[in-house]
Amino acid sequence: MTFEQQVLQFVITGITVGSTYALIGIGFNIIYNATDIINFAQGEFVMLGGMFTIFGMNVLHLPVPFAALLAVVMVAVFGLLMYLSAIRPIKSPTPITLIIITIGASISIRGASSLIWGKEARRIPAFSGNEPIPFFGAVIQPQSLWIIGVVFTIVLILRQFFSRTLTGKAMVAAAFQPRAARLVGIDTSYMVLLSFALSGAVGAVAGIVIAPISLVTYDMGVMLGLKGFCAAIVGGLGHPFGVIMGGISLGVLESLGAGFISSGYKDAIAFIILLLMLFFRPQGILGKGRGNRV
Amino acid sequence: MTTVLMETRSLCRYFGGVQAIHELDLEVRAGLIQSVIGPNGAGKTTLFNVVSGILPPTSGEVFIDSAPISDLAPHRIAARGVTRTFQNLQLFSDMTVLENVMVGMHLNSRGGFIASAFKLPHVWKEEQRIRSVSMDILQFTGLEKHASRVAGSLPFGRQRVLEIARALGAEPRLLMLDEPAAGLNNRETSDLSELIGRIRDRGITILLVEHDMDLVMNISDHVTVIDQGRKIAEGEPDQVRNDEKVLKAYLGEE
Amino acid sequence: MKVLSWLKNPYMGFVLFTLLVLGIPLVVTNQYYLGVLVIIAIHSIIVLGLDLLMGYTGQISLGHASFYGLGAYITGVLSAHWQWPPLAGLAVTLPVVAIIAWLIGMPTLKLHGHYLAMATLGFGIIVFIFFNELGPLTGGPSGLTGIEAMNLFGVTFDTDREWYFLSAIFLLAVLLLSINVVRSRVGRALRAIHGSEVASGVLGVNIARYKVGIFVLSALYAALAGWLYAHYITFISPSSFTFMFSVKLVTMVVIGSLGSLWGAIFGAALLTSMPEFLYVFHNYETLVFGLILIVVMIFMPMGLLRGIEDLIAWSWHTAREVFNPDSSEELS
Repeated sequence: MTFEQQVLQFVITGITVGSTYALIGIGFNIIYNATDIINFAQGEFVMLGGMFTIFGMNVLHLPVPFAALLAVVMVAVFGLLMYLSAIRPIKSPTPITLIIITIGASISIRGASSLIWGKEARRIPAFSGNEPIPFFGAVIQPQSLWIIGVVFTIVLILRQFFSRTLTGKAMVAAAFQPRAARLVGIDTSYMVLLSFALSGAVGAVAGIVIAPISLVTYDMGVMLGLKGFCAAIVGGLGHPFGVIMGGISLGVLESLGAGFISSGYKDAIAFIILLLMLFFRPQGILGKGRGNRV
Repeated sequence: MTTVLMETRSLCRYFGGVQAIHELDLEVRAGLIQSVIGPNGAGKTTLFNVVSGILPPTSGEVFIDSAPISDLAPHRIAARGVTRTFQNLQLFSDMTVLENVMVGMHLNSRGGFIASAFKLPHVWKEEQRIRSVSMDILQFTGLEKHASRVAGSLPFGRQRVLEIARALGAEPRLLMLDEPAAGLNNRETSDLSELIGRIRDRGITILLVEHDMDLVMNISDHVTVIDQGRKIAEGEPDQVRNDEKVLKAYLGEE
Repeated sequence: MKVLSWLKNPYMGFVLFTLLVLGIPLVVTNQYYLGVLVIIAIHSIIVLGLDLLMGYTGQISLGHASFYGLGAYITGVLSAHWQWPPLAGLAVTLPVVAIIAWLIGMPTLKLHGHYLAMATLGFGIIVFIFFNELGPLTGGPSGLTGIEAMNLFGVTFDTDREWYFLSAIFLLAVLLLSINVVRSRVGRALRAIHGSEVASGVLGVNIARYKVGIFVLSALYAALAGWLYAHYITFISPSSFTFMFSVKLVTMVVIGSLGSLWGAIFGAALLTSMPEFLYVFHNYETLVFGLILIVVMIFMPMGLLRGIEDLIAWSWHTAREVFNPDSSEELS
């Protein structure tokens, strides 16, 4: 492989992985936009997407697409339940309380998962086989195409949802100006519920779509969630397009770094970029100066 | 002529399309009690927020001792001798009355992390001094009996006085009071009026934003009237009281 | 009641605590338990700092394990590779960690919102990865051996009993320092910031500087603890300095009550000794920690200790009402 072909290969991997980060980051954004909460349990939604799909496949003997669909619904419901049981009951929700609670939820889910499903890695078969597709001297895994395709489809669907449907617009309104929204009859608490359900669903999709490549383990959500979080911050927390830019650039930089510098430090790359962003441009690539000075 | 302590020139502060303050020229002269009045929403609190550094101006400039201060953080503006109270009370409610005033003295006291951690001797002495000066301020404002009470447990009228006492701890040259009489009954208001007079007698310049017309007219040396962010009249209380534009702003068209 | 107010003076509490600490070895002679107490003391030091940060500035550090780890690894590497004596290692560790913490805190604490949480999260993971990857220096995932045992001015500490006293002294010193800070002008400024940021700013408090100051202080506490840890166990590995440990530290603070120094020690003691009691349930540890966090935050958001305090105060108050209904309270 020539140098250019190597770079291309890394970029392809980077876009694949980066799309997943972007999708997970979208999940963060949905909840953040609706509630100002940073949901540290987002990564667990990803993990549960994979786990529930495997459950559907192995226990209910459903074909993969149905198992996946069921899993998405289950995680959406799970997100709702998590909000209702862990977040809604809080009497005085200071930011520090909410962060601690979502971290608590995250490790509880992970702990429970390790007890229920054990610590071994599980498989979901690739959606359309493993035959690599040649591409200008590099290769693309069919699963990569699935990932990129699914992510962009979801982005488009969400875009339509938030700008064209009444519910979507109501969610945006409720996030922007809760009081005004209530005055025009929007049930803001319902919007919050919806945001958790939607976020769960999106997270689940991310988990299902990347499972054939990265396997499903009880703790896969940790790194994926954190990197999705990085994608959101780098792109501008809350910004719908920023997160995509953030995710993909993170994925590509990570892949190039792992390829050319060292694979051991691969995971550090995303966080180094996060730190640099926080230091020099905390509002992210596309965010609007939200970093008010004290 | 007394010196100009604080001044705004063509000061503008907009919130999106709302012009909270527009082309405002204000002069505050040393040693006097000056008031800013105007109907609700006229921009008075926004003015305070810009001058004290909490909000940046959209355009225009604020000067203290002829030096521009608009890009300074609040604590730096405080270091130049300007302090304020808040319309909606921002007491440290979980701290005692005395502690609130001791925090007020922050600028006039010393003691950083290391010195405090190791309780160096000069920190010891400084603590005694801070405590004693704070007690003096509490006496000056009539709160000394409540020194060890939790600030949040004081009756409302006394909380208002505490906020002023706390600001005095900073030994300001200019004290800005944001509606200090709001919610006070007649007796408390006249006590407040007397307190403000005594503060002025100590050489502190006062800028007052108020709705209580009697209070304003009785104690002010100078009154500025603003409406919809613009200055519409200024002068001595009697001049302003009878000004047509002022009456129209408050009462609307006849 | 005069006696109660005398007891409430934290310096009094400090004296009592010192007596307690000195008395424990008379009762506890089992080396293993003394060893657990040493670890509790070490953890308490970290938690004291984190508690000051969380309680007084309302910010969270999700990466304090990294400062703990840096404290351990810097001295560990200097000791294992170049035989630097422990005190020399400390002399390098503290300034280095202070500078790093300052570099992280300065830009992030100026901003409103939870940028510190995110930055410390990222930093913690980066440091952990570096501990794993810098094999030749740090020993990589299998850890660093050959760290010298604690040796101060010619005195070696190698039994658990000796370590108990050493770690207790450090804990007491850090506690005393913390009490001093809390009761000083600095402590007042911090509480003022917590009470009303805007008012404290307008009164001249340089908010960013105080927040950064407390963050650096908390990082230094953690580094000191790491230094002790390295020379106690004489072996360190990255698995002690994970994100999960950072979360555990936050849990200890939360259990103890934000802003309460005694609570910090209580939380550290409880959660450090818990796995000892529940070692059978090791697999449940993660789940249990998570549930504790959730439950405490919902029902006692001020922390477990404060929740218990409030409960006692409420019961006391109710009992007084029941038994002495005409007792006149101080009227406003």
